[in-house]
Amino acid sequence: MRFSLILGLLLTLAVLRTHAQHMPPPTVRYWVSFRDKGGQTLQPTAYFHPAAQARRQRQHLPAADSTDFPVRPDYVARVQAAADTVTLVSRWFNGVACRATLAQGARLRQLPGVRSVEEWPVNELLPASRPVALARPLTAADRSLARRQTAALGGTDFRQARLNGHGMRIAIFDVGFNGTDRHAAFAHLRRRQAIVATYDFLRRTPDVYQGGNHGTEVLSCIAGQLPDSTFIGLAPGAEFLLARTEQMYRERYAEEEAWLAAAEWADRNGADIINSSLGYTDRRYFPEQMNGRTSLVARAAELAVRKGMLVVNAAGNDGDDPKWRTVGTPADGDSVLAVGGLDPDTYLHIEFSSYGPAPGKRLKPNVAAFGVAITAVPGGYSRTEGTSFASPLVAGFAACAWQQQRNLSVMELFGRLQQAGRLYPYFDYAHGYGLLQARHFTAPAILTAPTFDFVRQDSAVRVVIRPEAAFVPARTLPLFADSVQATTPAEAAPMAAVGQEQARPAAPSQPDELVSPTPPDYLYWQLLDAAGRLLRYEVLEVAQRVVLRLPLHRLQAGTTLRVHYKGYTATYPGQ
Amino acid sequence: MKLHVATAGLLLAAAAVSPAAHAQRVLFRADPATDSMQVSYGPNRKFYQHLFVGYTPVVGNPAGSGAALRPFKSAELFIGVRSKFRLTQTISTGFDVQYVRLVYALEQNSRKQLPSPQLHEQESLVLSQVQVQPFVRLGFGRRGNVIGHYLDLSGWGGWAMATSHRTEDRPGTGGSTRMVVVEHGLSYLRRWPFGVGARLGAGRYAATARYRLSDTFIVGANPAYVELPRWLVGLELGLF
Repeated sequence: MRFSLILGLLLTLAVLRTHAQHMPPPTVRYWVSFRDKGGQTLQPTAYFHPAAQARRQRQHLPAADSTDFPVRPDYVARVQAAADTVTLVSRWFNGVACRATLAQGARLRQLPGVRSVEEWPVNELLPASRPVALARPLTAADRSLARRQTAALGGTDFRQARLNGHGMRIAIFDVGFNGTDRHAAFAHLRRRQAIVATYDFLRRTPDVYQGGNHGTEVLSCIAGQLPDSTFIGLAPGAEFLLARTEQMYRERYAEEEAWLAAAEWADRNGADIINSSLGYTDRRYFPEQMNGRTSLVARAAELAVRKGMLVVNAAGNDGDDPKWRTVGTPADGDSVLAVGGLDPDTYLHIEFSSYGPAPGKRLKPNVAAFGVAITAVPGGYSRTEGTSFASPLVAGFAACAWQQQRNLSVMELFGRLQQAGRLYPYFDYAHGYGLLQARHFTAPAILTAPTFDFVRQDSAVRVVIRPEAAFVPARTLPLFADSVQATTPAEAAPMAAVGQEQARPAAPSQPDELVSPTPPDYLYWQLLDAAGRLLRYEVLEVAQRVVLRLPLHRLQAGTTLRVHYKGYTATYPGQ
Repeated sequence: MKLHVATAGLLLAAAAVSPAAHAQRVLFRADPATDSMQVSYGPNRKFYQHLFVGYTPVVGNPAGSGAALRPFKSAELFIGVRSKFRLTQTISTGFDVQYVRLVYALEQNSRKQLPSPQLHEQESLVLSQVQVQPFVRLGFGRRGNVIGHYLDLSGWGGWAMATSHRTEDRPGTGGSTRMVVVEHGLSYLRRWPFGVGARLGAGRYAATARYRLSDTFIVGANPAYVELPRWLVGLELGLF
């Protein structure tokens, strides 16, 4: 026994040694930045898709700038000669990513034109969704949610205004789009050839219909359709660029590189909006590094915004992870619209949605949408959780808003989207500016009348709701939420006489919504320090007009109280 | 008395129905001042502490005949607490405090000399030890607040707080199924072992190898007792 064990070990060692002798020396990933783009020119009309040129024109951006110029081919050729493999050439960052041995890495630093050479470790970019969903028959509650996930954002208002993202191009970066090319939810996209380009940046092929379902689910939250023709996203009229930039579960290629390459590709192909339901967290970064400047994807996203594209990113699903809790990257970028998740039943922060603030006490997430959604998955539909799905709901919303106001620059749109938040100008680190409201774009702005007053007493300040804002509309509750009515209507048919068949009334129509698409009127309040940073915030259920009583000693040293109720926000200054 | 009870009851009832007494239901609360504090503790922070368990079989042969061991049954099982201090992004240091149960399961053959030539159904020497193991850690690659890939180089030393010689025979005497005899406090075993070790790890998993520099037996022990294998190679699981 012992002999055979030792023999086995020796044989294994021998095999490993022989194998090692034949193996090339191990390579490391490097990011090589160049000093200049001297002598390079670009013909924008030839390089950019007409949609990309139009986007720049609309936003008064130059047709091209130096970041669009090609990387100097002599620099690239030298790196190619000196390194093992070049995996990415980035115009935006004037550099290349490559694989090289340590000795080659040292030589790369000596090459002319090389500004810096950094080690570039491979790390995993995780989709911001909860566990994988499987197709199953939709229940009444699912159908209700499918309607509410767009209705809560004001989908009806956009529909009535004939806004469906038409003329917009949305790029989706994800792990794969299994079944998108066959699923009935996207038949309308295929009919009008609305998927205008696809590319798998990991395998370098145009086929993106493999690798995972996550992209399919995300796309469905922008443009998917249920069998009853209900759209489960807000921009079914848009065009799409599908990029596979990430790999599920395992890591073979550098995904940050793929994200950057896809952003450059989306820019060139005229994308207006990038939806990225992905994020880096603690595999590579510390929470304090979520400053929008550290990670390559955050810097790439910021540059994408500078080129006129709106970047919408899921805030992340780490709200219930005490080790992380905050947003991931690239959602940490200042110009990236980070989308948090709401519980569709309570319209409040859903526990897994990542919280702000980002380092520097910056407001994140920016806005919110449902963090639970009905999505298309291969073979059917499913209910799925994750801020991954809040993000495309908002991307679809943004497409409709931009369709309506095509001349807005990207940062103007960014600002308008924040203003369209239900809570605006109130914000907190869980809901951002709240659930977006299409009404902000489709209806004329109405100055909200004050709904409450601050009443100062000896030792406390009270928040008292005004009588005209204290009206709570009554409604008759059903006996069971999903079936029959609780009360017998006055005009109910009389009981049939004994021995006679009771006449059957016409079947009542199935209620459309089990939960109202209008959020309840909660009272939001917060304490801010002198610098405007949140010290504490709460959401209260309003059951009486005197809704809050705050001792005055809590308002010392520049602390202020800010309250939001029914669209009205007011601040009570501290002492 | 009845009047007092009635009055108290009325007051309580009044308090219960008074609008001012209704608490507003807090549906959501957050306290960024405390829940967004900078965290200084974690797997790749300045200080981190976690539990670990492991199993390392004895590897190799004794220095001579008479003390053949049963493979895999002769092994260390250990559980401990690791305290790690990060010095730079790549270098950390720390120490383990661990309880180690080392078992030498003795092969029963005609050449057996340890601790006597007498043969049994099963026989083992067991050392229960408390050890301290300082280490230096080299981490590979840039990473966030995770353990990541690492190589630990360590030295270790400890005290064998209990030693025993356990034999089992079947059938036992007097008609019993088996007879187990345990002899405690073995005077021929060295009580202060020490050595060096290395660990190659990724996240919570690590391959570990330890080499004992000290001898198993004291100087005055039976000369027939040959030195037992010095290598232990196995696996460790971090509990975090």
